[in-house]
Amino acid sequence: MENTITEQNGISLFFKNNLGILITILCLILMPFVISLIDGQSIPSLLANESGQSKFYQGLAIEIFILAVFALSYDLLFGFTGLLSFGHAMFFGVGAYLTGIMLKSFGWTLLPILALLVLAGILMALIFSIVLPRVKGITFALVTLGIAQVFYIVIQSREMADYAGAEIGLQGVTPPEFLNPIEHRLRFYYIGLVILFAVYFLYKRFVDSPTGHVCVAIRENEDRATMLGYNTFYFKLAALTISGITATLAGGIHGIYNPIIRPAIASSHFTIAALLMILIGGIGTLSGALIGAAVFKLLSFFLEKWFGGASQVLIGLVYILLVLFLPYGIVGTIRARSFRWKQGWQRWMKILRFKQPS
Amino acid sequence: MKPLLGSFRKNRTLWITLCALIIIFTLGARGLVDNEAVGGERYQDVVITILRGFSTGSIIFLVASGFSIIFGLMNVLNMAHGALFMIGAYVGWTVFVRPDTAVDALVPILLLAGGFFLIPLWDRLLNKLKMPSWLMKTWPWLGLILASVVLIFTLPKYPITSWDVGSYQISPTNYAFAASQGQLVTPEPKQFLGISPLLGLGGILLGGLLAGITVAGFVISRRPATAGTSEGKAFPWETLSLFLAIAILGLVIHYYNTPISNFLLGLDSTLLFILAILVAVGTGALIGILVETTMIRPLYETHIYVLMLTLGVQSIIIEIVRSAWGSPEFTMHRPSIFAGTGEGCPAESLGAILKNNCSTIRVLGGRVRTYNELFIPLLGIVVLVAVWLLLQRTRLGMIVRAGVQDSEMVEALGINVQKIFTTVFALGVGLAAMGGVIGAPSTGLTTTLGDSLLINMLVALAIGGLTSYPGSAAGALIVGLLQQFVIKYGQIGINIPFMEEPFKPTPPLVPALTVFLMVIILLVMPQGLFGRKE
Repeated sequence: MENTITEQNGISLFFKNNLGILITILCLILMPFVISLIDGQSIPSLLANESGQSKFYQGLAIEIFILAVFALSYDLLFGFTGLLSFGHAMFFGVGAYLTGIMLKSFGWTLLPILALLVLAGILMALIFSIVLPRVKGITFALVTLGIAQVFYIVIQSREMADYAGAEIGLQGVTPPEFLNPIEHRLRFYYIGLVILFAVYFLYKRFVDSPTGHVCVAIRENEDRATMLGYNTFYFKLAALTISGITATLAGGIHGIYNPIIRPAIASSHFTIAALLMILIGGIGTLSGALIGAAVFKLLSFFLEKWFGGASQVLIGLVYILLVLFLPYGIVGTIRARSFRWKQGWQRWMKILRFKQPS
Repeated sequence: MKPLLGSFRKNRTLWITLCALIIIFTLGARGLVDNEAVGGERYQDVVITILRGFSTGSIIFLVASGFSIIFGLMNVLNMAHGALFMIGAYVGWTVFVRPDTAVDALVPILLLAGGFFLIPLWDRLLNKLKMPSWLMKTWPWLGLILASVVLIFTLPKYPITSWDVGSYQISPTNYAFAASQGQLVTPEPKQFLGISPLLGLGGILLGGLLAGITVAGFVISRRPATAGTSEGKAFPWETLSLFLAIAILGLVIHYYNTPISNFLLGLDSTLLFILAILVAVGTGALIGILVETTMIRPLYETHIYVLMLTLGVQSIIIEIVRSAWGSPEFTMHRPSIFAGTGEGCPAESLGAILKNNCSTIRVLGGRVRTYNELFIPLLGIVVLVAVWLLLQRTRLGMIVRAGVQDSEMVEALGINVQKIFTTVFALGVGLAAMGGVIGAPSTGLTTTLGDSLLINMLVALAIGGLTSYPGSAAGALIVGLLQQFVIKYGQIGINIPFMEEPFKPTPPLVPALTVFLMVIILLVMPQGLFGRKE
């Protein structure tokens, strides 16, 4: 009897703590239908994946999901563990290219590819970790930048052109039939949604675990964490591995979803894009990574649509303004101010109930 | 002998690493001499490759030295350095190829910049006024809107002669060639479009003033209340006179536009090249001052945000260059002193170069280009020595060196660190812009110029030690030499065991090798060759 009560408490506590996220999930589940209603598209035609506004926005949302998984992995690495890496795009790029090459040139099915991606993620994390015990801070960033740059150069080189398609990118990958992003986009949308929030809740569990707390301690003061008896290398390696596997998987989804895998996703600009996403959302907050990815993608998409060539200037300006005037990101600023808002709200409620504010 | 042994014991790893590098390069050079593909011993290949390595290294050094001093002193990782290198190259190219356009563009820039020089005056006046806080917070935004309205109205109407991106796009190479032959058709100067000159010039001046007031307002509203104000100081006459001088200079240039343009077009291209270097350095320094004072200064404490901010600046600069100059590649010809091909060329001795202005010189039977392989390394050494003297022998250099060691302590000793920061930032960016002009004749101009250089520069700094000045020189040299050796080997092929054909790396693969060297060196010496041990 007691058992059920505590379990109920646990569930209700979970609902209470994650109310915002759960509402977001609900909205995202309903989103294709709501848009099709607004657009005047019938439900059967939506389920048959006929083209329309809904399908278009599903595609946009899938891209946001992929970016959000990538941003989450970068947030774990930089926001929670404090490892500034400029080579994170390499994980994403390897994931995308491995998936594409294995599907196109070797005809593998999805499950072995999945195993391969996990292996590749672990392997790359190990490569990055060779320098981990020796260099810190900005030097680590430079080393990772260098390693990722090597991959970026190799993937574009003419020596690899038969497999990776040189500067143009990898074209002509046939995704598996049940996951075809054109014929089964709604299915793809829901699978992407499930993957994103599975990753989110797993990460939340990791961050709240003792291991996650040690990671935060390393970010705050590595010397003190070492002094307390933790071998910080293993914790950093754990964060790097988990984040690397996640980024590789995100790259894999990107490789299935996009018709052309461009080399730009392996460049340092893409790492910087992830850094921007978590800066927009708020460093060291998981929900900030989600919001940041959505804002980043929507902003660059609509600015590109409305202003065309001038959009790069505007995006640059937006970043500068964000950094100057909203330095803690969206979630960070809300968290800093929510206490004040809460106080104001309580005062209002008291006034409405004709009580004297204490 | 004894101190040498002592230093060897102290820095054993450094000496061993340096010896290993020297052995590697010697083996590489030896391999080039015994090149089987050509047959016989060819020393000239080695000499030319080493000179090219010095040349590439000099360009990297010009950019890396500024970057490393800025990083060491201010802890600012200026990712826009590559883009500033690029803008230096483009500005220099414009002055060199189209001096008339440069003169036209100078006027609005001077008029705009004049307003920014008045910031200390506004600062003082606003402190005197003691406005209510809500007004203090809102009016800079009002100023921003007003300034942008005025500038949007007047700036596009300012006539800049023959800034015809379309004609470059047809054939930029032909265009540059025609310019170097002096066959350029310069159109008549245009007039103001639709508004009277007085209104146009006044509008730009007013826009500059409003922008200056806006910046002053933002600076005041973000300044903590405890920080010292400029209260009690003498009236800033010098800023007022500076503003007047700049505004009058701008007006004079506008009035005498045609004679100045004709004078510049008639100049020898060597003089124009020197002018281009000066203008590019000035532009770089101005941009540096502007970026440092308005954007980086409020964010000193949060380094990661400064990083993002410089990335934003970088993307804006690249986009401005792309819209103003277009995306095609440009070539820049060498100044006349290095371009002679007539009688007596290629020169046999150093004296003959000066006599005939030869573009090439004969060394050991091979041809060496005087500009690329002699002038650039020479200039790199000159800058190396000049900045070293500046750092070691002047008061500014002393403060900078102390600041690299411990910037808080310097501040505590009562030195105005902010002024030093601005100077150093301007100096670093100016050096990068200079590197852009110097490198332009050998590399050409593209909008992606900055990206590849930034990677090379970061690799060079990681090898040499991030905050060390000699380290930046050594790292740049190592990266330059390694790149040129790999390129040279790429032409003849490397015999790798277990492979049938010799491996010929394509030029894009070259940076990959320097990265490998960086990882190896950082594994042996995590702080770089000359970096400070923690």
